[in-house]
Amino acid sequence: MKWRVIPLEIHDAYTNMGTDEAILEAVRDGKAEPTIRFYRWKPSAVSIGTFQSMEKEVNTARCRELGVNYIRRITGGGAVYHDLDGEVTYSVIAPESLFPHGIRESYAFICDWIIAGLKTLGIEATFTPINDILVQGRKISGNAQTRKQGVLLQHGTVLYSTDVKRMFSLLNVSAEKISDKMIKSVEERVTSVSKYSSASIEETYEALLKGFTKGKEYKQGNLSGEEESRASELARTVYATDAWNFSR
Amino acid sequence: MEGFAEQKVPGGKMVSVRLVYGPKIKNVQILGDFFLHPEDALPRIEKALVGTSPRAKKDEISGKIAKVLAMNNAELIGVTPDAIAETIRMAVKK
Repeated sequence: MKWRVIPLEIHDAYTNMGTDEAILEAVRDGKAEPTIRFYRWKPSAVSIGTFQSMEKEVNTARCRELGVNYIRRITGGGAVYHDLDGEVTYSVIAPESLFPHGIRESYAFICDWIIAGLKTLGIEATFTPINDILVQGRKISGNAQTRKQGVLLQHGTVLYSTDVKRMFSLLNVSAEKISDKMIKSVEERVTSVSKYSSASIEETYEALLKGFTKGKEYKQGNLSGEEESRASELARTVYATDAWNFSR
Repeated sequence: MEGFAEQKVPGGKMVSVRLVYGPKIKNVQILGDFFLHPEDALPRIEKALVGTSPRAKKDEISGKIAKVLAMNNAELIGVTPDAIAETIRMAVKK
């Protein structure tokens, strides 16, 4: 099985989510190889899980003030702050048949690639069900998966550096909870690559690339013209719309 | 009447419920950071609960949820039918 790897790109939230879905459709239709993709978010963005409420989870007024995008994913899971300089996101989009049948097992299967990447930076991480990767008991990566028409899409983030104060200002956490004590407690539960390694964000990506491609036959590639125009269409007609983002 | 409740499922995810109800549930929205495969089973669960008494026993509500899951070959991860049923009952004003 030959994989396509799309090297680290930077896009806005709508294009990033539109691209993941456009690749899913292309893989479903047999027009694209199984794909691994790496990306960052510019402007920084908050994404919410598909079953969450935008108005409940996100301080959209504060996001607009700071020029931060907000978007609903097609995957479940929780709200994530995607800081441009604070994380690397990946997606894996391939036929379900390439993965363990069970959802929980397939999380573990793909998360092993992240763990292998972190290991090349000297970071020992472990998978913690349902969908997290921890280093010394602190979360360094969150992941979310969907399966549609025989295709598995898993995307997730690896934290490079964290700014908990900024993250809290964008999420709807009550003022009472944004106390120093609360921030300290989150800081104790979350960690990032920069706490354990002097690697740059680009070097972190290179390390993840090694972990994801280890033992695989692959070539570096780009989106096809058809995927690109479908991604733009989905970005414009779905992911940038209030109808989608505020549907719950 | 309208109601809202949320809870963290022990060892699982957050689930919350927005409820519009009289003697029967008129509208229910189930929210949270859980996973459900396939995702489009959630609106079907919500639809199946309309018309149920929000004060029905937990087993009756969770039974309806489990039935929709089975019919759609769907899998809930991080939350259970029981926990959703319990949250619905919590959303009803005493």
